[in-house]
Amino acid sequence: MSYRVLFFDELKGFYKSKIMIILWIGMPALSILIHYLIPSTEGFPVSSLVAVLVSNISGMLSSAMISTSIANEKNNHVYDLILMRPVKRYNILLSKFCAVYLCLIIATVISLALGLIIDILTIGVPSQYFLEETFKSLTISLSAMAISCSIGTFFGVSISSIAAAAILSVYVGNQVSAIATLPVLFIESLNSVLIALLVAIPLTFTFLIISLVMFSKKQF
Amino acid sequence: MSHMNLSEPLIEFRNVVKSYKNVLALNNVSFSLNQGDIFGYIGPNGAGKSTTIKIMVGLIRDFSGTLLINGKNIKSSYLELFKILGYHPQEAGFHRWKTVYQALRTFGKLSKLEKRLLDSRIVEVLEFVNLKEVMNRKIIHLSGGMLQKLRLAQALLGEPEILVLDEPLTGLDPASRYQIKNLIKKLANSGKTILFSSHILSDVQDIATKIGILNLGNLVKVGRPSELQSEYHVRNRIQIEFDNDIDILDQLQNLNYIEQSENKSANVILISLKVEADLDESIHNLLQFLIDNKYKLRRFNLLTPSLEDVYLKLVQGENNEL
Repeated sequence: MSYRVLFFDELKGFYKSKIMIILWIGMPALSILIHYLIPSTEGFPVSSLVAVLVSNISGMLSSAMISTSIANEKNNHVYDLILMRPVKRYNILLSKFCAVYLCLIIATVISLALGLIIDILTIGVPSQYFLEETFKSLTISLSAMAISCSIGTFFGVSISSIAAAAILSVYVGNQVSAIATLPVLFIESLNSVLIALLVAIPLTFTFLIISLVMFSKKQF
Repeated sequence: MSHMNLSEPLIEFRNVVKSYKNVLALNNVSFSLNQGDIFGYIGPNGAGKSTTIKIMVGLIRDFSGTLLINGKNIKSSYLELFKILGYHPQEAGFHRWKTVYQALRTFGKLSKLEKRLLDSRIVEVLEFVNLKEVMNRKIIHLSGGMLQKLRLAQALLGEPEILVLDEPLTGLDPASRYQIKNLIKKLANSGKTILFSSHILSDVQDIATKIGILNLGNLVKVGRPSELQSEYHVRNRIQIEFDNDIDILDQLQNLNYIEQSENKSANVILISLKVEADLDESIHNLLQFLIDNKYKLRRFNLLTPSLEDVYLKLVQGENNEL
């Protein structure tokens, strides 16, 4: 019950935040920009390029957004009024993580869909191969973003300085989320989707669980 | 917990101790409150007031000693506690993008208040704290006084039996202080049990039926304001206004029941009586002395010791001993 209230509350807060507006409008706009700025993609689908860019930019922004949001709310004693009600502490963090992640999924899907539409209009219906590649890109993007968000949650809980939490979560988030894509670069025979999921799921859960434990022991 | 036993205290702290690493924030604090008490919890900044309050509202759970709310150990009944307690934190923030109404609605839902009654309850508490006209205003656009009222409104949302107000008057302009003070008085009149902290004595003196003075983590005194004033009679003072300018100080110093006398203005003197002097006898003798010497009096006022005198004696005295 309290999770649902908190989740929709966070969702309302995030979907109209400045960073999310960048993602809502900026990412789809990027799809169009790529088409006009790089007209000679030589048959390479816009949607695939968009997926790579979206995973980088969204991951970076989302980890900064979630860490600054938690650090800011901690410093401003926002949690005092929530915690003296029958609310489980882990629901506060989980609802925030899920709300941000859902916003990212929607922004990414919109951007990719727009990229696909551009592809269809310019180079015709993409081949099965390109569609599969786009799907792979999407999965890898979402895996990287999940890692970034969990790292943002971790730094938001553990650091009080908003600036430090933002910088560390962007830097560490970028570095660690790259782990989801790196193995495929070195060993071509690996299934990139499977590897991304195998890396992202345990890493995301580990960072989230550490954050939840730290948050539950925090004194407000 | 809703069925209260009137014979036992509603709130009871028994030897509560709380340390932060090597710093002792609360040292064996014990006191109790009965239903309907308005407990003024005073002490200088850093005395441990907020720590006591955070223990009471469940924000700090790692402490030693016992805290009983209506006879039940708080450590095993936090969920029940949340149903009967409203908390106004000293500096709680809100999601600034929300409107006043949206913020209260979220708190209402988190407190599991009945959905069909929630809207009317929100209007009711906003009317009580005079915030109804800004119900749809975003929190980011509220003044400091309005934010303080909103903190009070969210504390009242669940119609709690116990209200815990941490420095509700701090940082407010005089008009807002007056308004919040009146609201607390109204709540007290409606039978709520209230614990409120302040480092400003006059705030407490006006409202509290019981006072606890905290210093350096030690609860140095608990009692009713009148008890404290009589127990800690620091010094009775008398202010006399004469018809004409006078020069009487030398003569007054010769009277054995007077500790000190000074001119407040050319025709007004302030006399401090000795602590051991009997008040009635001293007044009688002083009046007799003035009549005998044919001084023309315009006003003769006995200034009873204020709570501030008690507070300064307890707090400053203890700090000086360190």
